[in-house]
Amino acid sequence: MKKMSRKVMCTVMAGILAVSLSACGSSGNNGNNSKEGASSPKASTPAASKAASKENITITFQNIYPDQTDPKYGMIRKIVAQYEAEHSNVKIELDSLNTDQQKLKLKTQAASKEVPDITIVNPAAQMQPFIDADLFAPLNEMLGKNGLKDTFQEGILDYYTFNDNVYALPDGNNIALIYYNKAMFAQAGVKVPTTFEEMVEVVKQLKAKGIQPMAIGEKDSWTGSFLFMNVLLRTNGGPGFLKDVVDGKKTFEDPAFTEAVDAFQSLVQAGAFQEGATSFDYNAGENLFKTGKAAMYFMGSWATGGIETSSVGEKGEVGVFKFPTVGGKGNPDEFMLAPGSAFAVSKDSKHLDETLDFLNYFMLNYPKEAFAVKGAVGVAQKVDGDFKAAGYSDMAMEVLGMFKGVKGGDLAFDNTMNPGTAQVHLSSIQNLFVAKKDAAEVAKEHQKGYEENKE
Amino acid sequence: MNILKVSRWTIAAFVLPCLLLYVCLVFVPITVSIYSGMLDWNGIGVSKFIGFANYNKMFTNDAIFWPTVGRTLLLAGFSMLVQLPIALFVAILISRYVRRPSFLVSSYFLPVILSVVVIGQLWKTIYNPASMGGMINQLLIKLGLDSWTHSWLTEPKVAIYSIIIVALWQYLGYHILIQFTGIQNIPADIYEAAKIDGAEGFQADRYITLPMIVPIFKISVVLSFIGSLQSFDLIMVMTGGGPAHTTDVISSHMYNMSFLSMKYGYGSAIASFLVVVCLAATMLVNLLFNRLDKRFS
Amino acid sequence: MSQSASVTVTKQPVVHVQRSRFSITKALVFIFLGILIITQLYPLIWLLIYSLKTNEEILSGSFFSLPSVWQWSNYSSAIEGGNYWKYLSNSLLVTVVTLTCVILLASLTAFAITRFRWKYGQLVLLVFLLGMMIPIQATLLPLMKIFKGMDILNTHLSLILPYIAFQTPIAVFIMSGFMKTFPQEIEESAVMDGAGVFRIFGNIMLPVSIPPIMTVCILAFISVWNEYILAATFISSEKLKTLPFGVYSFVSQYSVNYGAIGAFLVLGALPVILIYFLLSEKITKGMVAGAVKG
Repeated sequence: MKKMSRKVMCTVMAGILAVSLSACGSSGNNGNNSKEGASSPKASTPAASKAASKENITITFQNIYPDQTDPKYGMIRKIVAQYEAEHSNVKIELDSLNTDQQKLKLKTQAASKEVPDITIVNPAAQMQPFIDADLFAPLNEMLGKNGLKDTFQEGILDYYTFNDNVYALPDGNNIALIYYNKAMFAQAGVKVPTTFEEMVEVVKQLKAKGIQPMAIGEKDSWTGSFLFMNVLLRTNGGPGFLKDVVDGKKTFEDPAFTEAVDAFQSLVQAGAFQEGATSFDYNAGENLFKTGKAAMYFMGSWATGGIETSSVGEKGEVGVFKFPTVGGKGNPDEFMLAPGSAFAVSKDSKHLDETLDFLNYFMLNYPKEAFAVKGAVGVAQKVDGDFKAAGYSDMAMEVLGMFKGVKGGDLAFDNTMNPGTAQVHLSSIQNLFVAKKDAAEVAKEHQKGYEENKE
Repeated sequence: MNILKVSRWTIAAFVLPCLLLYVCLVFVPITVSIYSGMLDWNGIGVSKFIGFANYNKMFTNDAIFWPTVGRTLLLAGFSMLVQLPIALFVAILISRYVRRPSFLVSSYFLPVILSVVVIGQLWKTIYNPASMGGMINQLLIKLGLDSWTHSWLTEPKVAIYSIIIVALWQYLGYHILIQFTGIQNIPADIYEAAKIDGAEGFQADRYITLPMIVPIFKISVVLSFIGSLQSFDLIMVMTGGGPAHTTDVISSHMYNMSFLSMKYGYGSAIASFLVVVCLAATMLVNLLFNRLDKRFS
Repeated sequence: MSQSASVTVTKQPVVHVQRSRFSITKALVFIFLGILIITQLYPLIWLLIYSLKTNEEILSGSFFSLPSVWQWSNYSSAIEGGNYWKYLSNSLLVTVVTLTCVILLASLTAFAITRFRWKYGQLVLLVFLLGMMIPIQATLLPLMKIFKGMDILNTHLSLILPYIAFQTPIAVFIMSGFMKTFPQEIEESAVMDGAGVFRIFGNIMLPVSIPPIMTVCILAFISVWNEYILAATFISSEKLKTLPFGVYSFVSQYSVNYGAIGAFLVLGALPVILIYFLLSEKITKGMVAGAVKG
């Protein structure tokens, strides 16, 4: 009896041990073990795919377009269907998730080297950890095929390039601007401001007329940060403040930064934003503008489509203007730039060749299809076609005009700094919406956060 | 003392399937988490073993950490001291006065069934500023109490209490259900015996229901404590932890660290801390209730 | 638990409701319970109205307002865009398998912990208690690795296994909490009648444990039914996805289709509410009369 039970215990323990070992083992040494495991399927790929080119394969395409009402939902399915029709042996499986969940899933998958064949990443600093972990296949060679590289706008691919290799292809390229409600401006008798100081004045006048001056969805703290960074882009007299910080040429205690904090606070203190702004998420904030409850809205040009079809947009009441100079500094033709989320290919994909071939096809067709569904404002590729004739609205035309005058700019904070520093920054700026702070203190908070998160 | 004497084989047959699955899929991951807590690791790339540096930083050099612990305990405290007594009171009332209780108990439970997304959105319409049609503020203004209006979800000192109220309201029915089930399990003849001795109504509750419900009440206490420690969804929906971390709790801080700041090692350290606190609290609750049990019997 | 010694083995269903005359106390109690029912039922009504509004109406955030035009189309887009029927059947499959396993495994374990005479009962309970507190986000990465090793990623098994594992601690905790309160005469008489352990478990313990089992059922059902983080991480195939995916399929990068979400939430909650009201009947009926008679 005793002997037997011991035997059982042994078996049980062995089982537990096996599981725990495999779990610990893979979490412990991401360096050697998994790389070896990863390289073996890759080695066999070319041979396998050549030998059985008509073998049925499935490519997993993780994406962030789950919503039927999003034009991209239909677009992606249309292109996929076309490709599948032309390649009967290939099946593209779409794993459509909302943005937050996709980020979480990809990070989890990356930790176990289980990256889907095609996935979505954000540019620059947000991509860096994935590149460091060597998860993506370089796309240079594939970009050369069918002239795909030339379809992209000048310089856009730089945000996805590391060590001369392009690792992802963007679905968008946007700039930040201010949408305003013409009817409300007329009602309050104010004109489009040309300086930041005028803008604060406009805010006060609107407020005096009982009109909510600006809307923001500050529960998603990147929205306030995006606006703040535009102020900083001006007070710094041009782009590159954060880069100078990283290069050790400046600190956050630089006057350009504290000036930006002060200017930003003057806007908040003038009562620009709706009450309780930090509990409004992106959509709820934007909706205030869309339903004619706020006069101005600072956002990336991706919001154009949604605003066009909203109740104020349909009345043709919406205009746009460039972010003005602050304290006489800066150039309104320099914008906050928002290179979009981008498609990357797993280096360990079992069907690497087919996946690359599909993505090539997908991106070649992307601008044409986007144009057709009126989603071509802010795509990262060159679009042929007459926007006006295709029925794009006046506002959309205005936005497109602005794109033509772009003379460079900065990326959002979290695309420039590492995630740890970015989180400190986001929360620090969010705090300005509920508390008045000394600019020096905000600067110190940033500097401390930056130094703690530096490698 | 338990009376069934059985062979080891029988015990194994009863316990092992469950235990094995649980150990492999829950216990092992925690152990891994404790280990990950000793890594400097962003969750994706190369990791470096740094011993207890994360834990050290968490306890001594993280301005956000201790306030989140405080808020978590605040939530747990309110839940145990306010929510559970109310739930018990309601459960007693129902068992005493309602002849067909199932509809009532079920209705009270409804907010638990509905997704947190709905609950969060609904309460936002209650808490919104008056200009957005927020119910409380509009009511206050109508009553002439303008000075009492608040921006309930964004004023750093008020926001966490606003969330606590929602949590207490949402899970009230959960605890009513558990405690009601407990009261149902008290044999009727005890009450009848008490009746003969002259104890009736609330006196019977005092001497029979309360002592007899102690083990079930304990379940409620532990569940409410754990629920409070894991409260995450509601906070994410209502404030996202903001403004500036003033409504963050331990679990949301852990999530932010692991997946947003990409300090997976540090996040794991927080997760391990959470597990240890829960364990300690559960043992404390057990100890307390064992005493209580003895005193009553 | 000495008080249980005085309990006779035969029992009646618990009905100590006072059938007496009208009284002020009674009226107050009913008013109180009535108010409570309104506050607890209101969200459901609110959700129903919500599901028939446009995005702009929803986001304008009023506590009570009717839609200007009832948007029944939200329901058709919820059913189509949210793949309602497919996700529903997947959810049902996963939930039913999970619940069956949880009930079986947890009641066996709880029985062993509370009724067997052995040294490690409390230790085992403690080990389970530890598991109730695991924040699910912290287990994502380790589970991913385990399932990759088992090669069950992107199958329903990769959901069912962790769901069972995560539900068992609370189930064991609740079941053992209840089983402890049952008087020992139950087994004593059974043992005297010569019943084996399995018979005591199956024929005696399970029937009297119906209320806690139903409680566990409901709690587990709700958390499994609404679980999204594990599902989104481990499942990639469209044909395997569960209901919460449907809710989030109306959330894209810069827009959310709230009306359809509301409609989908109503559709997703319907089965739960239905099942819940059915089960709660069992809970509140109390213990089956005379079930403990040898």
